[in-house]
Amino acid sequence: MTEISEQYVISIMSRDHIGIIYEVARAISDLNGNIADVRQSVLSGYFTMILLASFPARVTQRAIERKLAEADAHSETALEAMVRKADETALAAFSNDVENTYVLTATGADKVGFVATVAAFCVKHRLNIIDLSTTISDGAYVMILIVELNQSVPINTVRSDLQQFAQETGLRVALQHHDIFRAVNEINLPLR
Amino acid sequence: MPRHDEILNTVDMIQKENLDVRAVTMGISLLDCHHETVSSTCQAIRDKIRRYAANLVSTCEAVSAEYGIPVVNKRMAVTPIAHVGAGFDVAGFVEIAHALDDAAGEMGIDFLGGFSADVANGLTIGDRALIEAIPQALTETKKVCGSVNVGSTRYGINMDAIVLLGQTIKDLAEKSAEQGGFAAAKFVVFTNQPGDNPFMAGAIHGLGQHEVVINVGVSGPGVIARALERKIARVGSENLGLHDLAEEIKLTAFRVTRSGELIGRQVARALNVPFGVVDLSLAPTPKVGDSVGEIIQILGVDAVGAPGSTAIVAMLNDAVKKGGTFASQSVGGLSGAFIPVCEDQVLANAVRDGSLVLEKLEAMTSVCSVGLDMIAIPGSVDATTIAAIIADEMAIGMINGKTTAVRLIPVPGKEAGDFVSFGGLFGESAIAPVRNVGKSTRFVNFGGKIPAPIHSLRN
Repeated sequence: MTEISEQYVISIMSRDHIGIIYEVARAISDLNGNIADVRQSVLSGYFTMILLASFPARVTQRAIERKLAEADAHSETALEAMVRKADETALAAFSNDVENTYVLTATGADKVGFVATVAAFCVKHRLNIIDLSTTISDGAYVMILIVELNQSVPINTVRSDLQQFAQETGLRVALQHHDIFRAVNEINLPLR
Repeated sequence: MPRHDEILNTVDMIQKENLDVRAVTMGISLLDCHHETVSSTCQAIRDKIRRYAANLVSTCEAVSAEYGIPVVNKRMAVTPIAHVGAGFDVAGFVEIAHALDDAAGEMGIDFLGGFSADVANGLTIGDRALIEAIPQALTETKKVCGSVNVGSTRYGINMDAIVLLGQTIKDLAEKSAEQGGFAAAKFVVFTNQPGDNPFMAGAIHGLGQHEVVINVGVSGPGVIARALERKIARVGSENLGLHDLAEEIKLTAFRVTRSGELIGRQVARALNVPFGVVDLSLAPTPKVGDSVGEIIQILGVDAVGAPGSTAIVAMLNDAVKKGGTFASQSVGGLSGAFIPVCEDQVLANAVRDGSLVLEKLEAMTSVCSVGLDMIAIPGSVDATTIAAIIADEMAIGMINGKTTAVRLIPVPGKEAGDFVSFGGLFGESAIAPVRNVGKSTRFVNFGGKIPAPIHSLRN
């Protein structure tokens, strides 16, 4: 008889060094946990990871936290972990629908509030940011966001508001469908 | 996420470098509109166009808004009207032109091509009537464009037809003298005319095509020019060979064509119409930064028309084709680099300054996409000389198995060095001098046919 399992979301932050993923994965498998999905990135020497794992029902959240604390104790550097039971509704709501994704770029002088200002625009227009990255180009700070357009705000409204936003903030902005970027830079044509 | 530099380059292509989908052209077969009387034929034409093209403009605009890439021109191409109006007289053909014009206006498109005939191997009675109707038809209507295919590699060149059309061009110009002879800008003479070209004025929906189809013309001379400048600035011209520049053109042409492929397929899908071809031609506009002439200068000549210009155009044309072909599932139309003088500020200036002459343009047409296009010549040039200019251009196409075309505007009352402006996309230019006027009369008067070349016998 298959055991009932519970899903947990675990996030990790640490100074980057060799072995972190091993330590975390080992801790999870010691508890008979199965990692379903992982995302990780490294920024300025700091490692961060978020993963979804299912554990047998008898394993408690406290047990997972304790196991990760043990890994922290043995680790080269401090390993901060956060464990939460995965919300059923969150998992169900997640969709792989990439039809309505756009690339929003904002370019301007690097200053306090840049990211917050652009993020505020996204909130106001119900744009869900699914990926975010920044870079420096020609001395200017550039924010690149992959956003999901909510059907309730029509694209034309977003575009005209974006023009106004650009004038008010002095930022150079562009909103382009994700498919264009894939079409001109990848071998396969993204056809839906 | 795509790489940062790729994202920023793509954004710049659209925002700063004038990347756009130059034309979305719906081709419609009007063969089944040929009825017993002119008026029922006209009605059938209007109904059919209405039925298929009602949502063309709005769909293009919606797809354009969704992708954030402008679709500059929405157009239509129809079956060469010589087929649709066969059996009618000159007045009947003029009436059909008006029906086409009305329908085009109603649909909100900017031009409709197809007031055309194919006479490569001979003129039918209907062909003659259409040709005779052209001056009136194209001056009385606003949006209708016409063309005549006078030659092919398979059949040779119909010199009799060329004799007629030399006069047709003069008539078109004279009848529209108030607009600088503009009606002649809506008429093209071809050899090896393709049936799926989305660009005006030579667009037709040829025989052997779908019932309805969407063809797309992309364009990005500005994108290519900026890409070349960036490459040269980054690496240094002393470290670059022509092959490196050709490679840069090829890669950029891929990106430009891909945009058109994406938009075109979406428009076709939204309209539930088959997707035909992407014409990957590099087509300039008078707008600054949208010039093919500028690319030629970046590739190394201080003045377009200087020695090296033909070699440069050959390389450019070929690189555009290589990059564009991989980008699209089906490439067609003209697909090469256009050198339309009035429509390209740098080319127009080169003509004004005397560095680009008709003879050099003719040489360049042997390695580029179209032909002697949008060239303003003195209004005093006689019909016979014009016919001879056409014959030269047609011969280049026939022997080399490529499309060549002539779209000349003999501007009434103006001479070489004067200036003419047509406005908008049709641009402006100095009048180009024509050498040896009036010395080709005996050749033209022979008429008849230039036989098909030996290499047309391929069986």
